[in-house]
Amino acid sequence: MLFNSLEFAVFFPLVVGIYFLLPQRHRVLWLLVSSCVFYMAFIPVYIFILFVTILIDYVAGIYLERVHGKARAWLLWMSIISTCAVLFVFKYFGFFTSNINGLAGLLGLHPPMQVLKIILPIGLSFHTFQSLSYVVEVYRGKQKAEPHFITYATYVMFFPQLVAGPIERPQHLLHQFWEHHVFDYERVTSGLKRMAWGLFKKLVVADRLALYVNDVYAAPKNFNGLQLTLATVFFAYQIYCDFSGYSDIAIGTARVLGFRLMENFDTPYYSRSISEFWHRWHISLSTWFRDYVYISMGGSRVVKSRWFFNLMVTFAVSGLWHGANWTYVIWGALNGFYLVMGVATKGLRDRAFGLVGLNEETLLRKATMVGTTFVLTCIGWIIFRAKTIADAWYVMTHFASGWDFGRIGTEQFLLRQLPAAVAGIMVLEIGQLLQGKVSIPSVLGRLPMTPRWALYASFVMAVLMFGIYRKTQFIYFQF
Amino acid sequence: MSSPPQEEGERLGRAFRQELAGPTPGGWQEALSGKPLETAPNGPDKLLHPRHWPGLGRIIGFFCFVALVAFAASAMINFGLRRIRTSDFGVSNRVMTGRVNAEIVISGSSRALTHYDCRVIQKISGHTAFNIGRNGSQTDMQLAYLKAYLAHNTQPRLVVHNLDLFSFLTSHEIYDPAQYLPYLDQEAIYAGVRRVYPEAWKWKYLPLYGYLVEDMRFTWILGLKGFVGYQPKEDHFLGFLPRHTPWTGDFEKYRQNNPNGVGFEIEPQGIRDLEELARVCRDQGIQVLFVYSPEYSEMQALERNRGEVFAKFREIAERFQVPLWDYSDSPICQSRGNFYNSQHLNADGAEAFSADLAKRLVESGLLSPTKAGTK
Repeated sequence: MLFNSLEFAVFFPLVVGIYFLLPQRHRVLWLLVSSCVFYMAFIPVYIFILFVTILIDYVAGIYLERVHGKARAWLLWMSIISTCAVLFVFKYFGFFTSNINGLAGLLGLHPPMQVLKIILPIGLSFHTFQSLSYVVEVYRGKQKAEPHFITYATYVMFFPQLVAGPIERPQHLLHQFWEHHVFDYERVTSGLKRMAWGLFKKLVVADRLALYVNDVYAAPKNFNGLQLTLATVFFAYQIYCDFSGYSDIAIGTARVLGFRLMENFDTPYYSRSISEFWHRWHISLSTWFRDYVYISMGGSRVVKSRWFFNLMVTFAVSGLWHGANWTYVIWGALNGFYLVMGVATKGLRDRAFGLVGLNEETLLRKATMVGTTFVLTCIGWIIFRAKTIADAWYVMTHFASGWDFGRIGTEQFLLRQLPAAVAGIMVLEIGQLLQGKVSIPSVLGRLPMTPRWALYASFVMAVLMFGIYRKTQFIYFQF
Repeated sequence: MSSPPQEEGERLGRAFRQELAGPTPGGWQEALSGKPLETAPNGPDKLLHPRHWPGLGRIIGFFCFVALVAFAASAMINFGLRRIRTSDFGVSNRVMTGRVNAEIVISGSSRALTHYDCRVIQKISGHTAFNIGRNGSQTDMQLAYLKAYLAHNTQPRLVVHNLDLFSFLTSHEIYDPAQYLPYLDQEAIYAGVRRVYPEAWKWKYLPLYGYLVEDMRFTWILGLKGFVGYQPKEDHFLGFLPRHTPWTGDFEKYRQNNPNGVGFEIEPQGIRDLEELARVCRDQGIQVLFVYSPEYSEMQALERNRGEVFAKFREIAERFQVPLWDYSDSPICQSRGNFYNSQHLNADGAEAFSADLAKRLVESGLLSPTKAGTK
């Protein structure tokens, strides 16, 4: 079920209403049932895949507390391998076989494997990672194994974050299913406001920009340099608003029910370096890779060459997590390369800025760094968005060619949509700039009811009137 | 710092953990809470008390307010669009309010809309004429629109139905849905739309749904402007939309993409739709004329199953005793100067074709009182 669907508009109030009406002992079960309904709205049969991974890690968690020594490590690895096997079969097997066949073809051999086309269960990478973090934390002794199957299943399947995160850690989320949540007006309305902001990002900004981006990236050769540039900048906003919008709705939805989910984005395009960007973009995934891959490999507490290797591997794997395609792997590796270069050239850059009299706090230096980071990120997004590496190369090499201000629109994105798209981005930026300086909800909260309601209602109506309501999934669902 | 309801929640949560954990000391739940556990939570009977839902009334009230605004906005948009007297909505508004009452009615797709200059037809034939061709429509929606016309206007003497090679294709989506949204209270339009899109009940009954979900052209802005009296620039003349556009070059791309030509499907439902159109008119005593208006000659050569489609046209025409005039061999088809693409005549081409058609109508006697019925 999509958050931006009529079905969810009916589903959510029902779930919330019944949740608060039920006695505590039935609430977790109710959340599990609701989450199953939510998930089965996509492809019902795939619930069994989820059930298998839940069962594997639930049993592993219980036994990890009972066994000791080498058996414990074996159990952990068995659990990790079986959970990852599900991910491999559904997400990477087709990619793997087509690469093997491609390699065989290069060597002049008959393709040895049949390429299977399996529809990827929605959000598989997200709940797989959430499951994995549970067994690892239990193994590390930082989390007690959850004895109640229903509670554990709800932890993995909790519908607000089931299909696109945030990828929660058991220490943060699991115990919340044991808490009693009362209907708290302030918390509920705060959750609803967060949902409205997320819907604005998704419907008004992301989905409108998607019309343009989809047209241009479907056949980049049909478009001029200006259109390629616009489409790339639009994609940067689209993917941010799509994914952070989803996170906002997820956090808001959970908050209405009384749950606290971790923040997933922190205005990433205001970052002054790629390193900072990755501290502010998809935080739940970045920290997952940091804790379970990067640090496990030794992190930065090793010799420099090994440190750089760790960074490259972590980001290449992170790229592969995003999708079974070489474009994602290259995108991940490119970000790893950015980080390595960031570390390697830091001294040089500081000296260069110093020579022209720009210290750390100078506005011009900050702006230069934010701008550079944004451009580097956009280069990465080209590889991420392009269908093939050849397309990505074409876009990168044709930015400057044939700018034609008389040809900006595309087939789906008529020129009349441009003002709405630009206005959406401006509202987003103003909202984000104000976020750090004033608390908009508290300012609004101090207003008398009539103007306050009028403002809230205007915002809701603006989202309704300027949103795009085609059945478009969130980009990150496919991962 | 926790607010009072949160504190209550935490207290009840601790109590519940104890209830589930039972009397065993040292369980992890106890470790989690860090405090001795307390009493059991409130039962469901108490939860029903309004005390447990502080502010719920305000939240419901707010959403009712938003729903009210949405209803009002939807009504304003519909009303605004129905107030428009010019352009495409002006045409539909004249049709739906029975202010056309023409003797000759032209029906069909965008080819009808841009080919039949009713000013010329009126002048030459001496009979009032009106064009109700719909952009992007198939026979099913053309039939729906014709039915709506007949429900509100006096019976025409003649319905000229323009044929296309895709006349036997049914609609798989509604092109520019906003053109039908203000008229979903019309039985024929609603039935036509629902046949293509069964979920069209949402367009009709959920405020703003159609304008927001289905329409990508911001037609709602036009509706709001119409509400305050705005009239768009007039571009339709007796329903006819002249295109003062030179040859676009789209055909060259089309030919390049389809070097082996194109075939047009003949769907059984598409056949039934055309038959129903003929039947509806026959039952009301209205003379029907099928016309295959000019199509650029080079395009005709690309159409692989042209003969098959025309055979079906002829078969239906004979069965319903409807004359069929085919302009495929007209000299108009030979010159790109008459077209802006392979399917559509420009304003000059439309003028030449309309003049020819009107003369032929007069000569044919199809408009004589004995041939035509009256309401």
